[in-house]
Order: sequence, then structure tokens, then C-alpha cells
Amino acid sequence: MKIFFALLLITFLAISGYHLTFRGFRLPLFARKFYFTGTEFLFLGLLLGPQFLNILDEQTCAGLEPLSALLLGWIGLLFGFQFEIPKLKRFPSEFFMASIVEGLITFFLVFSGIYYVFQFSSLPLISTMSGPMKYSAALTLAAAAACTAQTGLALFAPGAIARKSSTIRLLQYISGIDGLSAMLIFSLVFLFRPSILDGNSWVNVLGRGTLVTGIAIAGLLVLYLLFLTQRREESELSLVVIGMAVVTSGTALILNFSPLLINFFVGFCLVNLTREKERIFNILNSVEKPVYLLLLVLLGAGWEINSLWLLVFSIGYCLLRATGKLLGGFFITYLGPKLRTHPHGLGLGLLEQGGLALAILFDFHRGFSCEMADMVVSIALLAIIYNDLLSSFSLKRLLKENR
Amino acid sequence: MVTNGQKRKNLITYFFILVLMTLLVLWLISHDVDSSWHQAGLTNLSLGVLLLTAYVCSRILKIVKLPLISGYIFAGIIIGPYVSGFLTVDMVERLRLADDLALNFIAFTAGGSLQMKSLRKLGRSIVLNIILLTSVVFGLVFFFVVFSGRNFNLTDDLTSVQLIVLAVLLGVVSVARSPSSAIAIISECRASGKFTETVLGVTVAMDVLIIVFFTFALTISKIILTGSGVIDHHVLAALSLEMAVSFILGGILGKGISVYMNRVGHDLLLFLLFIAFGATKVSAWMSGFMEYHFHISLHLEPLLICMSAGFFVQNFSKNGGYFLEVLNRMALPIYVVFFSLAGASLSLEALKACWPIALCLVFVRATGIFLATWLAGTISAAPPVHTRHAWMAYITQAGVAIGLAQLANSQFPEIGGYLITIVLAVITINQIVGPVTFKVALHRVKEARGD
Repeated sequence: MKIFFALLLITFLAISGYHLTFRGFRLPLFARKFYFTGTEFLFLGLLLGPQFLNILDEQTCAGLEPLSALLLGWIGLLFGFQFEIPKLKRFPSEFFMASIVEGLITFFLVFSGIYYVFQFSSLPLISTMSGPMKYSAALTLAAAAACTAQTGLALFAPGAIARKSSTIRLLQYISGIDGLSAMLIFSLVFLFRPSILDGNSWVNVLGRGTLVTGIAIAGLLVLYLLFLTQRREESELSLVVIGMAVVTSGTALILNFSPLLINFFVGFCLVNLTREKERIFNILNSVEKPVYLLLLVLLGAGWEINSLWLLVFSIGYCLLRATGKLLGGFFITYLGPKLRTHPHGLGLGLLEQGGLALAILFDFHRGFSCEMADMVVSIALLAIIYNDLLSSFSLKRLLKENR
Repeated sequence: MVTNGQKRKNLITYFFILVLMTLLVLWLISHDVDSSWHQAGLTNLSLGVLLLTAYVCSRILKIVKLPLISGYIFAGIIIGPYVSGFLTVDMVERLRLADDLALNFIAFTAGGSLQMKSLRKLGRSIVLNIILLTSVVFGLVFFFVVFSGRNFNLTDDLTSVQLIVLAVLLGVVSVARSPSSAIAIISECRASGKFTETVLGVTVAMDVLIIVFFTFALTISKIILTGSGVIDHHVLAALSLEMAVSFILGGILGKGISVYMNRVGHDLLLFLLFIAFGATKVSAWMSGFMEYHFHISLHLEPLLICMSAGFFVQNFSKNGGYFLEVLNRMALPIYVVFFSLAGASLSLEALKACWPIALCLVFVRATGIFLATWLAGTISAAPPVHTRHAWMAYITQAGVAIGLAQLANSQFPEIGGYLITIVLAVITINQIVGPVTFKVALHRVKEARGD
């Protein structure tokens, strides 16, 4: 019965929160940023989770796993749909390169830092972690760090945005793309699961994992395309999209892979192969916000702040990420003539860490449900909140900056 | 207009889809499923495959002009526990939540489709149909079981008293219909008119009244079996209270929905999803709560709650049209989920065990329905074409009948096993045949506007 009440409550929260958060609800300025990104839903999840009300306890969360997988799949599909090659080509190629480079710089900086800390930390939870587990945790944190969100821009006056429209355009472009490299590297976390790696050579594991996932993606894609060989009514297309998202997510779980990633690959192929892309995107987009808020609630439920060390780690993680973003932002302004016109402090506009990072964390948490996964998620969630608070000031500073 | 060439091309595409899905499923189920994460994957895969197969089957059957819901049911049977076994009984049970939600959405549509104006106009005909359908169908099935029950292998070892009780219970269960199937067929055919409204009115009203009839039947059966006792007024009072509370709750929810539509207006589907979900779970929780804390047995009917909510929105607010329009937008996934799961729940095992008596009962029930509707049509001077074809609209049977049989099983374990087996077998036949006959009837009376 608990599972039903939990689902009832989070459905209600998602609906009401969607209206309050995304439908013109006006709050004092200091709280608006928080509400605008939906961060309060993380706290609601925390409240509902085992730490407080225990409505979303472990058993309930396990019962909600099919829903969790679908949510991740939906976000993966949406992210894949952002990579429509003809649309990407409308922007200068330097933009794409800059996004990838910036993402990779942040990724490697954060990965090195975290892995170094994990290697030499004497904290019991970390020192007892196996080598592959340390890699997985560091890869996940680094992948989440590389992602950028741009929700905060909406809080700025149109005048300020108009004055810096070309920089804003670049920021929006980067925040849409820079998660790509991180996502691809994140797939290694699932391919090299400690349980799979155990006793096997990494080349075999990589080869087998890539082959199996590739076959699954190809099969699912052909299935999708067969459904799309004829134009279907709106309701029929919705049914096909829902059905395929459910099948794809289920396939990912059975293959020990990530529903986020497998749907991302399918979404990427679909948007570039089918004429129905606009209609499919509209269907996916129509429930994007409730999906995102449900994800926040479920993620918040897995949040455990049971040690002061987590606060220290999260501050360190946040600083590492900020350094990576600032360095990346600085570096890319030298990459090409079209990028040189932008301020060197571009990284100040890339500190926000929303949607995709949360999905990566949720994916990791569900796929690796263990104490270490709880710790990774807790560190990253705290850092996301710091970044949320920090990013509005840094973005404001960037918008005032003159080159 | 779809040409033959296009039809052939579509058929080939659907064939390849089914082949590919089968290969995918065979490949995936060969993997080890050990963790809860894998179990969740299997649940998702089953639900997704069920949805897509049901959709494909319905499109294939549409080519030969059969109703879409027959396709959904057929897909459910194929994927279900008795044919391919991909969906196990346990998995079907796990998907019950989706089923409940879908049923509540259908109940919203059922309530929303009833307009007081036309109900008043057709009131006499509806009441006449209800009285005759109840009495004639009950009577025929009762006498058939009493007089020929001994001739079937399954029931030849029952005592006379047990046979009479079985006849009473089967008689009442035979009166039950399937409003969900009726709504789905009406919606698919975009049917409207006097015939459609009468069928809808009768079917929905019967769905409410059947609970009352069944309670009477249970009480009478108890008296026959134990040979003593009187009709327990408390049971009837409790039943009336449950229904009244369900109606009132439905009215309040209906008011809530219309306020939401006036004040907020958008994302009504999400809101209805919440209401449907809430109605199901709060009813179940309240039953347990009242039983545990106050020792009061109060079983609220989520179906009645949602039906009266829909009725309230349609008849006591200005938003009835928009309400139905929004529900129709969601109709396809709802019907696919509900009817494919219904198909997966159909017991082919029961049918195999007692097909001779099941076939006879289907025939006797259909004869009863024909006599009752023919009489009702003649008395109320309905157009002859309506009178001739009305019986075809009342064949379908589904969940309510199974629920009633299960309830009877818990009350009378000595004959419950027989009852459930026969009811499941009869429903399997009726649920396959019923949608087809109803669609044909709607076309014959010329009230179907779409295919």
C-alpha cells in the first residue's frame, strides 16, 4: 500500500510543482532561482525518503524501478533529440568543438581530482572500495560535472540578455552539447561494472558490451523505423513512442546497461533518420517537466547526509568543477575566430548543473544501488545546490563583463 | 481510402514488427534475471511489448474490419500466461495498477457520456431493458443450470442444493456486462444516436445494479446452503451506504475537476491521472482503515466514484464537452493497456476444462438477451432494426463478473471453484465474440460514423 501512496504523493507533487515552478508563479527574487530550477523537489524527496518520513523507503523505491527506468529513458530520448545534425550545422563548427573541449576539460580535471582523493583517502567507506568501484564513482561524478544547465538565464532581465545575445547563444549551445562527451564516457561505468569485470579482461568486456548494446540499439531502432514507415495519427504515435520508450528502458535494464544511454543513442539516431522527428519531439517534450520533477523527487529520496565529510567532499567537488568550467571556458575563447569575440570568463556562465547531471546521478544510483552510490549521489546533490546558488551571481557577473 | 496495395504493404510491415519483437524478446529473456533492477526491466519489457503488440494486432484486425479491442484482447491472449507464457500470471498481477488506472479512466468516460437530457428521454426504454434483461437472462440461465447441470462432467458431482446455489450465482453473474468494452467500441465507431445512448445507459446502470443483485443472490444462497437464516438488513444497509458514499465522493471529485478546469484549464490529463489513481488507492486504504479501526466494512467502489465524477462534470458544469475531448485524446493507450491485460487474464485453461457447459451457457445467455431486448424494443415501440440487433450490444462481459465470482468463491468455497472456472470460460468466449457483434450492430443500425 505504501508504494501506491508514495506514487500518489509524488504524482501530486509533480503536477502541483510543475504548475508552481514552471507556470509563472512569482516569488521573492532570492527564492526564485531555487524554485525555478525545481531544486525544492530534491528536498521534498529527501523529506519523503528514509531519512525523514520513510514513505519512499528502499522497498518502495525498488517497486518504483520500472517507473524510474522509464523516466531515465524519456530524458535520454529527449537528450538524443538535441543532436539533429542539420540543426547543429547551422551553428559554426567551432561552437561544437568548443562544447566538446570544454566538457572534456572539466571531465578530466574532476575525474583526476576525485580519483586522487579516492586513492589516498583513509575514510572507511572509500578505503574499502574496490579499484573498479573507485573508477565508476569518479567517472560518474566527473560525467555529472561536465554537464551544464541554462535554466538560470530566464531569471535575467531581457535587456541584459539582449546586450550579450551572441554570448548567451554560445552559452545555450554549449550547455546543450557539453554533456555529450560526458555521457559517452559515462557508458563505460556500465560496461565496466565491477561484477562484469571480475576476472575478465577489459578488452573482452568492452568488446562484448559494445557488441551486445550495439545489437540492442540497432534492433530497437529498426523496430522504431518500422513503426514510422507510415504516418500515424497523433494518439497512435504517442502510443508507439510510449511503448518504445518502455521497451527500450526494459531492454537496457535486462542487459545491465543504462536506460538513459540506450535511449539517448536511439533518440540520436531517430532524430537524424526519421521524418516524424518534430512530432515525436513534441510528444516527448509535452511531459518533460513532470518527468524532470519526478526524477528530482526520486533522487532526493536517495539522498543521505550522514557525515560531515560529505559536506567537505561536496565543496571540494564543487570547486573542482568550477575550476574545470572556468579553465574550459577560458581555453575555448582561443579556439577560433568566432570564439575570440566572447569574454574569457565564459566559464562563469557554465556553472549551473541541472537536468542531465541529475539524470546521470539517478541512473548510477539505480544501477549500482549500494552505499558507495548513495555517497556519490549525496556529494553531487550538495554540489548541485551550491552551484545553483553560485551560478546566478557568476552569470550576472559575466553579463556585466566587457571584452 | 486505403488501397489494397497499401493494405498489403502495411500487413508486411506489421509482420516484420511482430517478428522483430519476438526475436528481441527471445534474446532478452535468455539473459539471467536476478536483481530487482532486472525484474524491473522485465516488467517494463513486458508492458512495452504488450502495448506495441496489441497496437499491431488491432491494426491487422482493422484491415478485416474487426474491432480494435478484439486486437488488443487477442494480443493479450497470445502474450499471456496460457499461450506464449511471456507474461506470467504474476506479471499480469504486477501490472494491475496500470489496469486499475485504465479502468478508472474508462469509468470517467462512461459517466461523462451519460447526458441527463437524453437519459430522461430514453428513461422508459432503459428501465424496461434493465428489468427484462435481468429477469429473462437470470431466469433462463438459472433453469438451464438447475435442469441440465448434471449432464456436464464438471458439475455432475454437486448435490441438488449446491446446484441450485450455483445456478443462482451463475444467473446473476450472467446479467453483468462490460461497460468498458461498450465505451471502447462506441468510441472506436464514433457512434451516436438513440440506439447507442440506450445501450450505454443500460450497460452503465447495470454495472451499478449488478452489485445490489449480487448481494441479494449471496444472501439467498447463504439461506439455501445453510437451510436457515433471514435476509440480513445490515448487509443491505451497508451496501446502500457504500454506494451512497461512492456517489457523493464522485460528486465531490467531479466538482473538483470542474473547478480545476475553470481555474487552471491546462494539463487536465495529468490531473485526471492523479484523481484516477487517488480514487483507486484511497478507496482501498479507506476500506482497510475503517475495518481495522472501527470494525466497519465499507468497500468504496472506485469505478462508481469515477463514473459519478464524470457524470457530474458532464451534467453539472459547462466543461462536459472539453472533458470528454481530453479523455478521448488519451483513449488509445488506455484501451490498449486495459484490454490487452484483460486478454492476458482470460483463462484458456478454464475454457479447456469446461468448454461444453461454457458454450451452452454462452448460447443460453445470448438467447436470454435476445428475448429480453426484443420484448423491450417491441413494448417501447423502438425501430424494428434496433429491436432486431439490440441483443448484439449486450454480449460482452469482463472484470465485474470475475470479481463477483471471486467474491462468491470466498463466501462459498464448496462451489466457488466450479463457479470461477465456468465464469472465466464464459467470459473468455463472450469477450472475444462480444466486441465483434456490438460493432456489427452499430453498423447495422447506422449509428457508426467511423471505422
